[in-house]
Amino acid sequence: MSLWVDKYRPTSLGKLDYHKDQASQLKNLVQCGDFPHLLVYGPSGAGKKTRIMCLLRELYGAGVEKLRIEHQTIVAPSKKKIEINTIASNYHLEVNPSDAGNQDRVVIQELIKTVAQSQQIQSSTQREFKVVLLTEVDRLTKDAQHALRRTMEKYMATCRLILYSNSTSKVIGPIRSRCLAIRVPLPSTEEVCNVLTSVCKKEGLLLPPELAKQISEKSGRNLRKALLMCEACRVQQYPFSVDQDVPETDWEAYLRETANAIVSQQSPQRLLEVRARLYELLTHCIPPDIIMKGLVRELLNNCDGHLKTEVAHMAAYYEHRLQLGNKAIYHLEAFTAKFMAIYKKFMEDGLDAMMF
Amino acid sequence: MNKLSLGDQAPSSKVNRWVNPSFIDLSGKSFSPSERTKDSHVLCSKAKPKRPRKRKGETDSSDSNSSYLPKETAPRDQDVPWVDRYLPCSKAELAVHKKKIEEVENWIRVHTNTFKGGILLLTGPSGCGKTATVQVLCQELGLRVQEWTNPTSLEPYTSSQHEWRMPGLSCTSQLDQFQEFLLRANKYNCLKMVDDGDVTDIKLILIEDFPNQFYRQPGSLHDILRRFAKTNRCPLVFIVSDSLSGDRSSRFLFPREILEELDINSISFNPVAPTTMMKVLTRISTLEAGKQSCGRMCVADQAVLEMLCSGSSGDIRSAINSLQFSSLPDIPLEKQWWKVMKDRPVASLGRDVSRTNQRKNKAKQAKEQEEGQAIGGKDASLFLFRALGKILHSKRENPEGAEGAKGAGVPGLPTHLVQHHREALLVHPELVVERSHMSGETFNLYLHQNYLDFFSEVEDVDRASEYLSDADLLTADWMSRSTMGDYGSSVGTRGLLHSNSQQVAVGFRPLHKPNWLLVNKKYRENCLAAQCLFRSFCLIPVSLQTELLPYLAKLTNPMRNQAQIAFIQDVGHMSLRRFPGRLKLETLTDKEPGQLVLNSGEEEDKEECQEGGEEGLPASQPQPTTSQSLQEEDLMIEEYNSD
Repeated sequence: MSLWVDKYRPTSLGKLDYHKDQASQLKNLVQCGDFPHLLVYGPSGAGKKTRIMCLLRELYGAGVEKLRIEHQTIVAPSKKKIEINTIASNYHLEVNPSDAGNQDRVVIQELIKTVAQSQQIQSSTQREFKVVLLTEVDRLTKDAQHALRRTMEKYMATCRLILYSNSTSKVIGPIRSRCLAIRVPLPSTEEVCNVLTSVCKKEGLLLPPELAKQISEKSGRNLRKALLMCEACRVQQYPFSVDQDVPETDWEAYLRETANAIVSQQSPQRLLEVRARLYELLTHCIPPDIIMKGLVRELLNNCDGHLKTEVAHMAAYYEHRLQLGNKAIYHLEAFTAKFMAIYKKFMEDGLDAMMF
Repeated sequence: MNKLSLGDQAPSSKVNRWVNPSFIDLSGKSFSPSERTKDSHVLCSKAKPKRPRKRKGETDSSDSNSSYLPKETAPRDQDVPWVDRYLPCSKAELAVHKKKIEEVENWIRVHTNTFKGGILLLTGPSGCGKTATVQVLCQELGLRVQEWTNPTSLEPYTSSQHEWRMPGLSCTSQLDQFQEFLLRANKYNCLKMVDDGDVTDIKLILIEDFPNQFYRQPGSLHDILRRFAKTNRCPLVFIVSDSLSGDRSSRFLFPREILEELDINSISFNPVAPTTMMKVLTRISTLEAGKQSCGRMCVADQAVLEMLCSGSSGDIRSAINSLQFSSLPDIPLEKQWWKVMKDRPVASLGRDVSRTNQRKNKAKQAKEQEEGQAIGGKDASLFLFRALGKILHSKRENPEGAEGAKGAGVPGLPTHLVQHHREALLVHPELVVERSHMSGETFNLYLHQNYLDFFSEVEDVDRASEYLSDADLLTADWMSRSTMGDYGSSVGTRGLLHSNSQQVAVGFRPLHKPNWLLVNKKYRENCLAAQCLFRSFCLIPVSLQTELLPYLAKLTNPMRNQAQIAFIQDVGHMSLRRFPGRLKLETLTDKEPGQLVLNSGEEEDKEECQEGGEEGLPASQPQPTTSQSLQEEDLMIEEYNSD
């Protein structure tokens, strides 16, 4: 039994549930027989990957769905062995170069070279190029991105690249200009509701529209998350009731409690407790930047309108440092302390104003 | 101590004929370490001069070669190193804290009375009186000390040579010999000698010298010890010196599991306290001065003694050696040194005093104090616990003292910056970091772990945490890290000191080890594991970790394998109730040298794990909880300041 997310994933461009215009454009693109390098971007859970897989299927037929997971070892010029996992079919290769950390440049060059150097055998019946799918391009180092630029030009004859990322802001200009950029926006709330309803129908369940709406709002229109939530609801209680709690992830609840703890008291001792909670989140695999984002969201909900600009400003400041720095905890804690100081001052000022 | 038996003396004089005494005298008399002064005085310090190598072992481990009987020998001689001449011969003369002595004495008493021996491990920096304590106590309690010394074939053996060369025996390894020694020493009593008198045959086995093989394979030592523990009859004492520079022999030879398994008691010694050391040094120099008839030696004055004392960082043996050396006349080098010393006796005096925080306005001379000590100076080093304490319990000048200084010409801050005014520091943060034998980054981590306890205002914490964040930013780039590391630690420490505007005395606070390394390692491992286990979902890591895994934990979706289920259980679930239980705070033990070694090791291979078990307070150090321990702690820092 697989998850609903995987079970009901559309497999062809024609079956996509939303952004149908874009789907038909992609179809046209493929039907011309050739297409440029693509840069697919958009927020998480919008359906980028689904669209890419549909595109590949359109291109090569059902053969792309026979996936195999491979474990490759690449030897860097410094004789260091880099191990990386790839997902491949006969026609394409998917790799996340940022798994290799600092050595992602080597991965990109070597992998693409090996793929591109082998020609398709039956170029009469098949396309004459293979596709390399690079995920998380925005996390590539600058080195790797420049290497990618050269490689893209060099192997244009035998290979097409599809890059996908959440945002283009960290992708260097030369790459952006060499690719056809396709933005996949989040589905609207109604579209999410529709998807949820149709999935439930296929499962033979009845989803009340109110609950669907609630789920789609709570998921932040992230379709993957919405489907997971919906399935969790099913586990929690069936038949669905209208006012059912939509289960959220543990870490989100935990983060909200942390934010409440920050707001309720501002003292060094409290900061110490908050630090322990941050550590706890980190050991549960929540990346520091996500923690930062979640924390800011919760804190902004809790604080006065006057403070919001300043808090957001400080959050941006420390989030930047988080990216540059080495040890995330310093910056997370510095932000927390900063918020505590700002908030405390604000409350004291407010108290003074009430007194006089 | 004076316990070299007659059997020892024959070979010893022979051996040492071709070793030049270190402090050769003008008279050029021949030198013999076995001659002892009758009026031996004062001092704890390692008793033994070059003790002749003895072969212990397979044939006659209980012969008189290897046991020392209390015995007064030796005419007085000027040429004996002072370290030997002023060996302590009673408990009162030991320069070790009374409680430590008591602790060791109790152990020995308990384990000799019952005839069911035990194992004791003494650790501590070199020259803090470990061996002397054992020797003196054994003498007072009337025990024989039977000591293992590594056999070397270079030694001229006369009588036992033949046995040694016998085929079959010649190839026995040091290891086997050690084992033989241990088991035989345990099993058989010493031979009764005619002149032994009333000496009992209760004995104590002392091992200070470990066969090299043990450093390569500590497991073999453990095997021998296990075997020994089964048939244990007499107390066995191990003495291992700690050193600060990454040599972790005591932890390496005696890991925690072994200590627990074999029920080994462990007592760790501290460096000799400056006050005690001063007492000893003064006593020696006055005794020496009294002996001077011909004025052959110059007598060191108070300032010199204090300098020797502070330069030796608690190593009394080196302090006495330095004292003897500096008292020698007519050495050109020494004259120069005297000149230097005479030039600034006040400075050196003031310097020490400023450290003890009695004279406030001498902080400027802290620089001078770094100008090195002419003779016998050791690199001063701080244990991590104390180094952190120096930063966290920062000491500043008294406001009154500062008023005076301001009057002397330092302009005050303009009014809009007045809130940034702080009294001058009495410590140099950079120096403290340097002496803690750690990289600035790791030191910052320790500070970060502990600083919150010392702050009372959120605003201060805000500033302090920003400085730490700055410090991390400075060292972020690996290319420039070697250069920027110092700046980073400077910003971190000084920022922390400056932002603590309240300066309340907080009393004793336990210090902890940083969690970050562990957390970070765990984070990376978990991420990696997640990607490996759930690769078939074809998700990018972020959405895998933040969306799929937490929901998988909530679903009844059957997993493919056990590992996945376990992982989901561990990582996907997050109990709101459970306050971070998996992050136990590891208390940093005070003045535990092995601790520091471990820490520096951690820092070197922080990429690797640090599972090399953390230890709590050793049994010899009571958990500091009461107010009494608070005083002790303060006292400790005070003492250390003054050296």
